[in-house]
Amino acid sequence: MRFSGNGFYVETYNKCCNCGVLLYGAAKDDERKFCGDWCASWFSAGAEERARGLPLPNAKMSYAGRTSVVDLTILDGNLASICRDMGVTVMRTAYSPIFSESLDFTCGLFDRQGEMIAVGDFCPSMIGGMPLIVKAIVQEFPLEDMSEGDVIVHNDPYRGGMHTPEHTFLKPIFLDGALVGFAGAIGHIGEIGGMVPGSFFAEATETFAEGLRIPPVKIKRAGKDCPDIWKMMLANVRTPRANYGDYRALIAAVDLGEQRLLDLIGRYGVAAYEETVADLLDYSEARMRAEIAEIPNGRYSFEDVMEDDGVVAERLTIKVTVFVKDAEAIVDYHGTSPQTKGPMNTPLSIPQAASFNAFLQISDFTIPKNAGCFRPIKVLVEPGSLLNVEFPAPSVGGNTECHPRIVYTVLGALAGAVPDRVPAADGGTWSNFLFGGTHPDSGEYYTSYDLHTVGWGGRPGADGNDAVGSMNGNCRTIPVEVYEIRYPWLVEDWSLVCDSGGAGEFRGGLGMSKTIRCLAPEVTVSHVGDRHQVPPWGLHKGKPAGLASTRFMLDGERDWRDARAVYGKVSPSKFANVRIREGDRVKVVMPGGGGWGDPARRSREALEEDVRDGYVSEGAMTRDYRD
Amino acid sequence: MSLHIGIDTGGTFTDFMLYDGGKGMRAWKVLSTPGDPTAAVIEGLSQVQDLSRIASIRLGTTVATNALLERRGARVAYIATRGFRDVPFIQRGNRRSHYDLSWVKPKPFCLRRDAYQVNERIDHKGRILAPLDEAEIHALAKRLGDEGEVAAVAVNLLFSFVRPDHELRIRDIFAEEAPGLPVSLSFEIDPRWKEDQRAMTTLADAYIKPLVRRQVKSFRERALAAGISGRIAMMKSNGSEVSTQAAEERPINLAVSGPTGGVIAAKHLTTAKGIRNLATLDIGGTSTDVSIVVDGQERFTDDYELEFGIPLRVPMIDIRTIGAGGGSVAWLDKVGGLHVGPRSAGARPGPACYGFGGTEPTVTDANLVLGRIDPNSFLGGKMRLDAEAARRAIGSVAAAHGWSVEEAALAIIRIMNNNMVGALRAVLIEQGYDPRQFSLLTYGGAGPLHVCDLLNDANIPLGIVPNHPGQFSAYGFTMADARSDRRRSTLLNSRNFDVERANAIMAELAQSVSDDLRRQAHDGEIKLIRSLQMRYLGQNYELSLPILVERFTPEGMEAVWRDFHRLFEERYRFSLPDAPIEIVDIGCTAIAHMAKPELPRIAEAAGGAEPASRRKVVFEEGTFETPVYRRQDLAAGHAFAGPALVEEAVSVTVVRPGYGLTVDMFGNLEIKKGA
Repeated sequence: MRFSGNGFYVETYNKCCNCGVLLYGAAKDDERKFCGDWCASWFSAGAEERARGLPLPNAKMSYAGRTSVVDLTILDGNLASICRDMGVTVMRTAYSPIFSESLDFTCGLFDRQGEMIAVGDFCPSMIGGMPLIVKAIVQEFPLEDMSEGDVIVHNDPYRGGMHTPEHTFLKPIFLDGALVGFAGAIGHIGEIGGMVPGSFFAEATETFAEGLRIPPVKIKRAGKDCPDIWKMMLANVRTPRANYGDYRALIAAVDLGEQRLLDLIGRYGVAAYEETVADLLDYSEARMRAEIAEIPNGRYSFEDVMEDDGVVAERLTIKVTVFVKDAEAIVDYHGTSPQTKGPMNTPLSIPQAASFNAFLQISDFTIPKNAGCFRPIKVLVEPGSLLNVEFPAPSVGGNTECHPRIVYTVLGALAGAVPDRVPAADGGTWSNFLFGGTHPDSGEYYTSYDLHTVGWGGRPGADGNDAVGSMNGNCRTIPVEVYEIRYPWLVEDWSLVCDSGGAGEFRGGLGMSKTIRCLAPEVTVSHVGDRHQVPPWGLHKGKPAGLASTRFMLDGERDWRDARAVYGKVSPSKFANVRIREGDRVKVVMPGGGGWGDPARRSREALEEDVRDGYVSEGAMTRDYRD
Repeated sequence: MSLHIGIDTGGTFTDFMLYDGGKGMRAWKVLSTPGDPTAAVIEGLSQVQDLSRIASIRLGTTVATNALLERRGARVAYIATRGFRDVPFIQRGNRRSHYDLSWVKPKPFCLRRDAYQVNERIDHKGRILAPLDEAEIHALAKRLGDEGEVAAVAVNLLFSFVRPDHELRIRDIFAEEAPGLPVSLSFEIDPRWKEDQRAMTTLADAYIKPLVRRQVKSFRERALAAGISGRIAMMKSNGSEVSTQAAEERPINLAVSGPTGGVIAAKHLTTAKGIRNLATLDIGGTSTDVSIVVDGQERFTDDYELEFGIPLRVPMIDIRTIGAGGGSVAWLDKVGGLHVGPRSAGARPGPACYGFGGTEPTVTDANLVLGRIDPNSFLGGKMRLDAEAARRAIGSVAAAHGWSVEEAALAIIRIMNNNMVGALRAVLIEQGYDPRQFSLLTYGGAGPLHVCDLLNDANIPLGIVPNHPGQFSAYGFTMADARSDRRRSTLLNSRNFDVERANAIMAELAQSVSDDLRRQAHDGEIKLIRSLQMRYLGQNYELSLPILVERFTPEGMEAVWRDFHRLFEERYRFSLPDAPIEIVDIGCTAIAHMAKPELPRIAEAAGGAEPASRRKVVFEEGTFETPVYRRQDLAAGHAFAGPALVEEAVSVTVVRPGYGLTVDMFGNLEIKKGA
């Protein structure tokens, strides 16, 4: 990172050319840069050397701390309870349904260096994403610039962030004048200005259309609001009242985190607390190492695609090679497409979070989630690739849509190593449906962010679940009655999609579909989805799942057509600023999950039940399950 | 007619508590008979000398809970608005854990083949967009009645809480075409918004109705046949009693009645002892129930999940249950980290020391190894415990760390205690309460074993072990009032507050809950409590504001809004004074107070307490030759310092070194730090 002489803006965003992390400090722009010796060695290593493995720096092979395992369990329970408590505050006081109903936020605690020591069990993409964000803030704010009562706000995708809607609030915590850690809350703000209501501009070609970008700045200084920042932020959004409430909810959470953590540190004393925390991170690392050690050594590759980017109708490859050596894993995205014109790019925090997510999916999920458990997994993403976007290319869609694809690409690779622990692909999309306008009843401006659920892939021993969110979020859908009271739509249908689960010995789960009719003179709609052309894959002879679609039936017409046909868009799944008129209908259909195992091996009894309950049609039974 | 009896049907034992006017209380228990729970009840009642003297019986039953948890209910037909039959299958799309790919999403209480959709549609303003297709309902009702495959019907139409006309009409048509089929309407079960939660709750009611009807009828008939002519009532999840007839009509209200008794008893203990706040902790074999009584009042909620994804929105005492109990299994992770639960050894095989073939170490095994439980006097000596089996089981944990068996047992107890401190924190600190202003009431078989540790770790100054800690819930049942709660969603806010509409809903609710009690022969005074569930417009969670007026007036609303801002500030430490406020629900509760037993006082101590025996007990502070007192030997005013144990038939109270115990005038054990 090279800042201007006055420090007010960034001249160049320098990154490690091996792993892609931001490099703060003075480096010349024209030389090859590495974050450390390990990355330099790996970068120049040949295939053989890489296959032998390069032990990660500062690795702790097993837990050998001074703290007893009993005290570690107790500390972890206490830290996790603080994070949960912070999250409940956000959930109960936030304004955007994306927080309060969809739970698209999380809360965490950090040590003095900004290492994550505990995190709330809320949005999984943020659990793995927060570490980079906080690291960036801590590197940008020298300690002497922080004081008790400060709260820093940040959403910059080029400085560790995830995409512009994701806002992080971070509060430094002081005890007797000395910094002892941070409390952080991150949440998806439903509307942050930019080109379209809801700020998901699916046709963006620069970040400037994706809403207000906020580098780390203080929104509170020594306990007092900074009115200049508040006014700037609230002047640039369509729904200032709701945003104000959401920011207050996130600040209330970090305030609570500060108070609770100080209570806890008070019970230990600072020195004992910090030693126990350090041991907790090492213990967590040891547990992840024990998990990786159970994966056979080797080099495992897999690839999948994003169908297009909303601007250019071309497929984008996500490729991963996972090197497993003893108790460590290198997750290398070399071979992934270069960054693209439209907003399906992601910052580094996304492949990093998604890689951690994939490993946690096949691990003992009781491992304490903190910086320690991520140490044995090194993620490498070339700067300028689809998954490590460079300023000022857009990235708003990449977070939600690429994350699940990355998780299953990593899992697809690991299926080669541990076939009995990996399910077939889930539906892998949310069909993010953003809309806004003036409500005909109240005359007020509103925006909304609607999500949809997919089938899980079949897995050894069980069919996939029906209608569950994809792997990057753990969002709840908005009930029909809440939706109709708040927004001018009539929901006409809300169903499971028969035959959308891929055939298999263990069938994929079903996706859902939703049909709505517009009740206002005009609603502006944007949409970011995928899996309209390339279905979720099956495993071990299991069949692929059904596709997603988003189609329109204009008032007075009788045919369903996609956004290309009706509105002349490039993509059927990524489009923005479509004007829906009264009486027009929109139908969102979600994919199921892929099948696992040979469909011919599915039990006759299970198949008959499927048909009686309408999960599988008679036609599909004879077509897909014939011996 | 002077006997009042509380009966608590549990998984292993059925507990009885008898109050005999001035003659005091008597407790006993018999083995439960899960196949026919009434058999144990009748057997237990046979211990009462003169059944004709019984004035009232209150029965707490797990029939409803178990039928839901074990999926043993009836085959139910679900009827929804066209386009929405999948609401209970789709649910809300979130998953139980982020990182558990083995998770199986819970199924609703009906098969998809039994989910029907009918032509009709009402919008949120109560306008009929599509009329009910009555011919279609007639045909469906007739078919379901004739086929006889489903035993109950659940109806959940969109916006029935705004306008119930179509649901009511469907019931009428079923009464005509299929009179044998009970019909549960979402408007009657839960007239509030969010169709998915209403769906689950209504389905659950229909699902258990046939079974509960059979059980209640069987109990009523066998009690009558045994010569009992007093009032027979059931316990509801809101901690009140309900006539058997009313219970049959809406069995979902019985769903989580089991743990309520202890909280009701705790509430009355605050009055008797003149203390304000209690945290209650009921530690059983597989789970622990935690609740609080604040300023002498129990807390209510209807935000409850039977299991993840199965919300039951019925009024109930706010009791949190965690999966930690005497049977919780201790296990080592891949790097030696020690964890306790949530898996439990249950009743079979149970802890290793039960000798039923269990080999995994449990909390009960740890308590036995530490000498806190006497292998020869467990359950009053009815069951001999295998101390060697317990040592072997704990030995596996000890070996992994080079600990002694006692050290490993202490480690297990510490982690178990920390799990329970987490539950206490959730009901106290996370709700904005200061633990230092509470006393901790521990009961259930295992509660008194852990009381001192929890006082220390949770920062609570006083612990109380009541009389009969093993039958405390049955005791609470004898003290229940009759209570009926109802809430209805209104969709009003401070900018469009329609006083007439609010008053109309309030009056209807008051009428409905009063009628509910009158129908159960409560002819005396009925007290009404009104409330608004409010939040800032745009938020998603409500706070409940008590309303002290019978009717709203336009000029009185300013005070209501002001009270809400104050309430919000108290709870979340900030408020948004300019923001519009939304009134989500209006609530009304009717209470008929019923006569309650008086707490009998025990004899005053004539001299110091004498231990009946001594044995070696291991504490964090070391191993001590520890005096063991018998509970029945203790009298009011007795006091002694730890280390000490107090043994009774079903429980042991552990007094740690550094703690002191005194016996109050009712016989409760009071424990605090220091002498």
